[in-house]
Amino acid sequence: MLFLQAFLVALWVTWAMIDEQTLQLQTTRAIITGTVVGIIMGDLQTGLIVGATVELMFLASVFVGTAVAPDVTLSAAIATAIACLSGGGVEVAIATAIPVALIGQTMNTLQYSVVNVAILHWVERGGKKGSLARVRAGNYIALALNFVFYGLPTFFAVYLGAEYVVKFIDMLPATLLSGLANGGGMLAAVGFGMLLTTIKCKKLWPYFVVGYIAAAFLHINNVGIGLIAVTCVFLHNYFIDQKANNLNIMA
Amino acid sequence: MKNTDQKLTKKDLWKVFRSQFFIRSCLNFERMQNIGFTHAMSPIIEKYYDTPEEKQAAIDRHMQMFLTQPMVASIPIGVSAAMEERLATEQDIEPESIDATKTALMGPLAALGDSLINGTVRPILAGIACSLALSGSVFGPILFLICMTIVTIGVRYLGIFKGYEKGVSLVTELQKSGLISKITELASVAAYIVIGGFVVTNVAFHLNIVYSAGDAVIDIQQTLDSLLPSILPVMLTLGVYKILSKRKISAILLMLIIMVLAIACTYLGIM
Repeated sequence: MLFLQAFLVALWVTWAMIDEQTLQLQTTRAIITGTVVGIIMGDLQTGLIVGATVELMFLASVFVGTAVAPDVTLSAAIATAIACLSGGGVEVAIATAIPVALIGQTMNTLQYSVVNVAILHWVERGGKKGSLARVRAGNYIALALNFVFYGLPTFFAVYLGAEYVVKFIDMLPATLLSGLANGGGMLAAVGFGMLLTTIKCKKLWPYFVVGYIAAAFLHINNVGIGLIAVTCVFLHNYFIDQKANNLNIMA
Repeated sequence: MKNTDQKLTKKDLWKVFRSQFFIRSCLNFERMQNIGFTHAMSPIIEKYYDTPEEKQAAIDRHMQMFLTQPMVASIPIGVSAAMEERLATEQDIEPESIDATKTALMGPLAALGDSLINGTVRPILAGIACSLALSGSVFGPILFLICMTIVTIGVRYLGIFKGYEKGVSLVTELQKSGLISKITELASVAAYIVIGGFVVTNVAFHLNIVYSAGDAVIDIQQTLDSLLPSILPVMLTLGVYKILSKRKISAILLMLIIMVLAIACTYLGIM
């Protein structure tokens, strides 16, 4: 049973990486990967919770330019599998997501800086003969290699490693576990902090306070916050246009 | 050369639409998305060029460095399709101008795609999906997947077909209208509000410090909550932001530090 489950999780991770490199339907993201792995492992609720928690940790984790981001997919998949196998031990599973994200990041870097560069040179030798087939083949090979880079490690981690992790978790003292839970709750701050660094117009920071007041004082949930954001975007757009019109009139 | 009397048909453009999905399949640190871009242009190269030498010249043209956000890459692909068509049918533009146009578009579009899609739309949808998921509803992830599918396929459809339709004029239009800076500003508005709100609803950070002097008991967390609710998660996020923007420190390392501090505080009994 675990063999089959580990294999399915590995297949899903491979697909998610291929999706990220082609369609970008965002099945890579922890919120989707965690849910799917939860279904594979037979514990949807745990999948949802681990997926959402890891997603919030890496909310702004995204490949920008040449800076490789921590890998969300691998960490969400393995953390969810461990949580399900340990019977819903969410806190520790989330703590394992951090080092796994780092391993995934290293794999990404290796893929882009060594393997895909080698494929590039192979494609270029074919390109000299005008071979478009070689160009396409280069892409297909790069995509297929995702199984080696991410699928196989996932399979071994879940099939062989998870059992030991679960046993290890059982040995941990209760205070450490609640410490991990407390830390896990704080990790989303890193995701939001990263997101703040990506914002271009720093002068608009008062809008941050608008969101804070809505959530902290008025207890509006995430959906409501999203609606307030959309409303303010339209209002702000109106005022930009007004300003442009006024300038035109004065000129 | 062949088919030099034919414009690109809808069918050709749909072929380009399908092959653009490989834009970052072989992302490499030497020339980034160049193989993907050549792959995307392959239906057009096949339509107009016959001999290996002609094909090779066209392949070389597109194998130059190219990097932008993958979804909005559809725009330079659409524009390049129009320029390749012009080059093959009218032969009144320089082949080098195609690469120059791609390069001119990729910087501003990367900024736009990263801040609007990766920095605003996706985190907002993901944040909403997460709060639904944390309350145990599978509807959250499903909603996220449907919305993001519409975004990614929609942007790419518009990029190819509008990019082809407008051609090179799109570049000057984008530069003149100030559209990109306007969208960036609006994306910043949404991102600030959403982060300000989501920090409160999604970051958990409570202190457990109680002073008792005689009969009077002061609970620090209760005092904070009555003055400025959820101020600790906000301060933590702003602290992380300050550190990330000032120092070159990896997010992973910061997470580990927070984890260790949380465990230490739990052992000390103040969390």
